[in-house]
Amino acid sequence: MKKIITVFGLILLGFSTGYCKIDLVTLPERDTVQLTIYNSADLTLVRESRTLTMKKGDNKLQFSWANTLIDPTSLELFPLKDADKITVTDLFFPPRITGLGVWNINSGISGKAPCEINYFTSGISWQAYYLATLSQDEKTMKLEGYVKVTNKSGEDYENAQVRLIVGKIHLLDNIAMLARRYPPYGRPIEILPRPTEMEKRREVFTMAKPALSEAADRVVVKQIEKEGLSEYFLYTIEGTETIPDGWTKRLLSFSQDKIPVINFYKFEEEKFGKNAIRFISFKNDKAHNLGKEPLPDGLVKAFKIADKNERLSYIGQDNTKYIPIDEDVELNLGAVLDVKVQPKMMDYKTYNYVFDSMGNITGWDEEKTYTVEVSNYRTIPAKIEITRNFPHQYWTIENKGDFGEYKQIDIDTVRYTMEVQPNTTKQFTYKVILRWGDRQLI
Amino acid sequence: MKRMLGFTVIASILFFVNVSHCRTKLVALPERADTVIRLDNPNSTLVEEERVLTLQKGTNQVDFSWTGVSIDPDSICIKILTHPKEVNIISVSYPPGENALVWQIYSPQPYEERIRISYLLKNIDRLITYKAIANKEETKIDLQSFLVLRNFSGEDFSQAKILLDYGETFEKQVLHEETRQMLLLTRQNVPIEKRFTFDAMVLPWDPEKVQGNVGIPVTYVAKNDKKSGFGEFALWNGKARIFQDDGHNSTIFLGEDNLNFTPVGDKFSLYTGDSRDIVITQRKMKDIKINVKKNNLGSIVLYDTDEIMKIEIENFKDAPANLTIVENILGQWDMEETSHQYEKEDANILKFNLNLAPKAKQTIIYHYHRRNVR
Repeated sequence: MKKIITVFGLILLGFSTGYCKIDLVTLPERDTVQLTIYNSADLTLVRESRTLTMKKGDNKLQFSWANTLIDPTSLELFPLKDADKITVTDLFFPPRITGLGVWNINSGISGKAPCEINYFTSGISWQAYYLATLSQDEKTMKLEGYVKVTNKSGEDYENAQVRLIVGKIHLLDNIAMLARRYPPYGRPIEILPRPTEMEKRREVFTMAKPALSEAADRVVVKQIEKEGLSEYFLYTIEGTETIPDGWTKRLLSFSQDKIPVINFYKFEEEKFGKNAIRFISFKNDKAHNLGKEPLPDGLVKAFKIADKNERLSYIGQDNTKYIPIDEDVELNLGAVLDVKVQPKMMDYKTYNYVFDSMGNITGWDEEKTYTVEVSNYRTIPAKIEITRNFPHQYWTIENKGDFGEYKQIDIDTVRYTMEVQPNTTKQFTYKVILRWGDRQLI
Repeated sequence: MKRMLGFTVIASILFFVNVSHCRTKLVALPERADTVIRLDNPNSTLVEEERVLTLQKGTNQVDFSWTGVSIDPDSICIKILTHPKEVNIISVSYPPGENALVWQIYSPQPYEERIRISYLLKNIDRLITYKAIANKEETKIDLQSFLVLRNFSGEDFSQAKILLDYGETFEKQVLHEETRQMLLLTRQNVPIEKRFTFDAMVLPWDPEKVQGNVGIPVTYVAKNDKKSGFGEFALWNGKARIFQDDGHNSTIFLGEDNLNFTPVGDKFSLYTGDSRDIVITQRKMKDIKINVKKNNLGSIVLYDTDEIMKIEIENFKDAPANLTIVENILGQWDMEETSHQYEKEDANILKFNLNLAPKAKQTIIYHYHRRNVR
């Protein structure tokens, strides 16, 4: 064993100065590499194929990953051909050597054997983000979705097929922690490594290779294939990408013009305060020229075409939730002053008092009359949703005036929805009777 | 003395020729043979090893001592193998202040005697891990289970049989501070059921009031029985990583979960991730006190309630889904009316099992009374 380690050690020394930190003893080049990157966790599944040279009988194959963020408990090797003749008997992590594993392989054949090596790495991430541009009349919107892939894994990935996963994955362990842990599976008495600040930002002092040369030659925008798998959506970026360590790449995921939108305002004092909040609402469906794929969560920056020369004005930004196909989208663009909702209590009364045998008050009714003024100072119509909350469930209500559509949401919440024309003020009144104490028992 | 790979750590269980005057001299340092590391108990690892002792006629003293390893002295047993009827162990004693044990062995003849020593060794154990690959339709999985041996005991085993209570037996060299992962068993085409679960005690009721999405947990459920290719032994608990065939000669990683200890006949479930394509909004629509009783002082002493719960379920997927809604009603209660049938998990937990069609919407409304609330 000592001898073998020495031999490995020598081989290691020979290659550790090379550009590639993941090396096999026989150092075959990667034939292909595929990255499947997750956005809900710091996790990337790497599948690489390499052509190994086997001898008949027992083979030892070493894999080392110093200075990368690979999770050694995820390492897997299997033959792509002659699976019945090549058996991976075990994988062991030799004593007192970090970042190194050795596979024992029994081969019934000698010669070239294409194999696949899979593992998880942390440090590669992707995010979705959007640019939304409203038309001048604010009736339609252009939406551009982007994906941004960042590699801080410590390893360069050249000509990799890049796949992105949209979905919320369940993990027991943080991959970055597993990558740092030594020994790879811990010890029988576990001492967990403490998270380090270094882990957040790894300094890489090697010069990154220019990554943009091949992209610059391209005229055609790359397509992204999308498909659903289990509860996830898989985005496959056309062709291959080279993402050196430390680099970020941005790619257009989709671009859709003429999405009909509803300008829409919400008012709920308990949630948003005294101001109305502006929303843009649309549906991720065919009627809105969308609906081909769910929209991953990400930051939306919203602009508006301000004039005939198509100059832009910035409206606001919002972090959107994940939007399934056919689901409504509501983008929160912040508080506005040009739509106002002003509820005023105009009348207050109490009555129907109940007393106990000692003459103490044990119940009463409280009647509040509110006038709500809803003003749209804009030059386009506005849909406004007003939510009112009550202190408890013992209430009755009377609505008067132009209150639009009224709906009870739950035991202590009601909602009025109305359309207000440009430069118009609407007014409605509601009278709520709240029953307190023993008056609740009738 | 054995040294480990050039390190100065002194490890191991040693038979040595003791020079003290009161102990019988052994002829040769017996070599270890037939070592078995048994890992069927998750808390303690049992090592059995066989050695050949050169016994002289009469009473022999055999010292067993160790340094640099942790052995439970009360667990040490010796078994005479070659002449079990003739060779007898007279006594076992523990010398003061030493990690050692002295056997007095009586032999009627000079014998080359094969013995088996067993003991519990600390800081060597195993983990069980699983890897599952689901088919694209998510109806079955191929399951692999691995044994991961972690030896930090201080002892090198040049060759040892490694056993669990099921699966493959391995014959390997195991060095101190070495970790070794071995494929223990493989089962193909294990049928699974995919299930979505909304637990009202755990998840937020109203997605409107939550930042971000409310994910509905997704699990694969399989059974440890003959039909699934198991049914012969309980499966040990361990971390499972679940992948899925993506239909492009590759896989995606679905998630990981603990596979709990699963006796024969039981089900195991693996939680892979959360679905955001099923949206559930639960709201209470009525909750008032009725049948109120007061004492002479006018205080409420007893009442019932009248409560209505509404659960709106939207499946945005273009696939059907098996969904379980778990609801909780505390205390004494009775159901006045319900839109859907439910099962009682216990006195307070109700389960509604729904088969949602693709793109379907369903609304559960149940109207109940809690009784004799004090």
